[in-house]
Amino acid sequence: MRYKLAVIPIPVFLIILYFLYSGLNKDPTLIPSPLIGKSVPEFSSTTLIDNKIITNQNMLGKSYILNVWGSWCYGCSLEHNFLIDIYNTDTIEIYGLNYKDSRENAIEWLRSKGNPYKKIIFDSDGDIAIDFGVYGAPETFLINENGIIIHKHVGPIDNKYFNDVLLPKIKK
Amino acid sequence: MITEIGNLFLSISATLSLCMFSIIFLKKFIDVDLRYAFCKNLSFIVLSLIFLSFSFLVYAFLIDDFSLRYVASNSNISLENIYKFSAVWGAHEGSILLWVLILSLWSACIPLFSGKIPKRIVIDMISIMGVLLLFFLVFILFSSNPFDRIFPIPLNGKDLNPLLQDPGLIIHPPLLYIGYVGTSVPFVFAVAVLIDGHIETEWISWLRKWVISSWVFLTIGISLGSWWAYHELGWGGWWFWDPVENASFMPWLAITALLHSLIVSEKRGIFISWSILLSILTFSLSLLGTFLVRSGILVSVHAFANDPERGLYILIFLSLIIGSSLILYFSRSSKLIFYREYSVTSKEFILLINNLFLTITTFAILLGTLYPLITSSLDLGKISVGAPYFNFIFSALMLPVVFLMAPAVYSNWSKTNYNSLSKKLGKILFYSLVIAYVWMNFYYKSDIFIVYLGISLALFTIISSTIKMFQIFDNTFEKNYFKTLLSIPSSIIANSLAHIGIGVLIIGVTVSTYYSSQKEIIMVKGSEILIKDTKIKFVDVEGKLSSNYTSQMGIFDAYKNDKYVISFFPEKRTYNIQKNVMTEAAIDSRLMRDIYIALGENIADDSWVVRIYYKPFIQLLWYGVGLMILGGFFGIFSRTNSVNNN
Repeated sequence: MRYKLAVIPIPVFLIILYFLYSGLNKDPTLIPSPLIGKSVPEFSSTTLIDNKIITNQNMLGKSYILNVWGSWCYGCSLEHNFLIDIYNTDTIEIYGLNYKDSRENAIEWLRSKGNPYKKIIFDSDGDIAIDFGVYGAPETFLINENGIIIHKHVGPIDNKYFNDVLLPKIKK
Repeated sequence: MITEIGNLFLSISATLSLCMFSIIFLKKFIDVDLRYAFCKNLSFIVLSLIFLSFSFLVYAFLIDDFSLRYVASNSNISLENIYKFSAVWGAHEGSILLWVLILSLWSACIPLFSGKIPKRIVIDMISIMGVLLLFFLVFILFSSNPFDRIFPIPLNGKDLNPLLQDPGLIIHPPLLYIGYVGTSVPFVFAVAVLIDGHIETEWISWLRKWVISSWVFLTIGISLGSWWAYHELGWGGWWFWDPVENASFMPWLAITALLHSLIVSEKRGIFISWSILLSILTFSLSLLGTFLVRSGILVSVHAFANDPERGLYILIFLSLIIGSSLILYFSRSSKLIFYREYSVTSKEFILLINNLFLTITTFAILLGTLYPLITSSLDLGKISVGAPYFNFIFSALMLPVVFLMAPAVYSNWSKTNYNSLSKKLGKILFYSLVIAYVWMNFYYKSDIFIVYLGISLALFTIISSTIKMFQIFDNTFEKNYFKTLLSIPSSIIANSLAHIGIGVLIIGVTVSTYYSSQKEIIMVKGSEILIKDTKIKFVDVEGKLSSNYTSQMGIFDAYKNDKYVISFFPEKRTYNIQKNVMTEAAIDSRLMRDIYIALGENIADDSWVVRIYYKPFIQLLWYGVGLMILGGFFGIFSRTNSVNNN
């Protein structure tokens, strides 16, 4: 009886190994989200800069991009200049979700690098991000005028990705 | 020159590690003493070689040799010397080299402190260490070499990540690694015993010291990391359930379970097979942690450079080492199962429950950490679980463990008289409940149930452990108190201090979590604000220059009852090279409270965003950890085991 119990750790280990291996093979930036086709989760928070209340209702009416970022996040600094380009060309509005950050660091970061966001939701403890299924910063969601999530991308976005993948979906 | 010598030494060490490993296959051909001498000397030589190549890397950092890619990407001429030194382990390549250095240090310690362990077991242990060393050395040489060159040679380096330019970060990684890598000793012991198929009580006493030592270092390492987060990240928090934090916490939980199951194995000769499995589990979790941190499959707040290829290499090694030891465990462990009867009121049973809960907790945290991977490979999308999951599951599973600490200490082996136990502890439990109730209702005027539960259980543990420690005074006729005090067995001091530490820590955590005040406001120079009992006055902001950053330093004065208490100087630093802005919070720590001020944004000429925290009793968290570590040291140096052997 006892002898047979000693076998248990082996399948447990194999199962864990399988998940680790599959995680390794899947590009962590290509992640299907269960939220695609569904509404933006309900939330209520404050905006980063002027500390006003913002909820999911405030963002309805126009399609927009929701970009999850933090001043601590290296990938975010990579895509930042491109977000500024979008802002300058006025293609689509960008909202920010400031993730696991402190207000002062985030504001200083925007001050030195420029602010492409229409409004930024402040989410210092990451609670809203959990509802969005955020896995790590940066992440980008494409959301339509009815507040339905159309697309999700994990990792920095660039000009090519925007033109090839996001723009066709925006135009639809 | 540094490159060539560094690489040469690492290659020789790898070859010698292979020799060390091959000894395990030469049992039949070479005599024991010769094999022993061979292993022992090899482990010393490997240690010296790795130490020398590590020193060369340190030297390269100190003389700003930017021809090394690793130095160029992690240092800078204007960096202070102490940070040039700690930059050695500031990124992936150097961390792994430090890891190997510590692994070779532990393996050289095995023959030095082998005690009563027979030579044949020591030889096997060192051989298995050899294969671990071999893997990491090959890993360094082929995919993480800190001695790689860069051309053209840059004039200056990219600077060390400013987050890491903090005194806490100088010693945090080495101490954490000593603990982390220290789990390899119980692992190689477990494998050697499984190969040998035989175990003796003396060996378990010996193993217990090693386990306590790595437990102590792991505890110091984790708490330093936490202390660093509290002081440096500027969020006012100290634990975030981040994958990297969990990676160090899971081995800690497993080794804590091991520590307790070894007590039973040593004193009663049972749970031996379980202890062996826990030893394997603990080291597996350390390797898994290394994999999680280095592979980049989980995104972490700790911004490390990641590389899936390195991850694959670690994963292959991990599956070979852990897989083969589990198969070995399956085929051999039946020899190590012993039976002895014990009742449900025995110490054995309580420690069994303790182990059960600690193991379940470890797996619950593992599940939470790997959750995004699991859901993604089952095509459920990537979902992460956050602090709410961990906080809930951890406190729910830990409450029974904390509650059982007192009964575990007071019960006897084999069978305890339930009535006398409940009479002794019932009184203490009653007083704890009353004190906690009075404290909460009259001091905080609050009745949150979970806080009440936490504080009363913590008091229960603290009071019962303190009484246990001084119990000796009840039955002594010695008049000299000092002499009696010295005669308390150090094993009792060890477990009492560690348990009191846990209690103190729980009070610190619960009270500071539930009764903190936080203000985030705009202050004009000269204005004042009241937080709890303290008035904070915003005096001024001054510019400050340092060799590699410029900073704006706020000046705040605190008054209590209109009497000046202390000044705060929170800073906002801009690092010249990476252009990063860092918040340096100013903290005044007292036993009863911490006041924590962070300087925010300059909104208009004289008005600034200021963040102030008032955290009651958060210091108890660090005191609690300190007591646990002190208890650990008493455990390492306790003499009781040798007395038992006589």
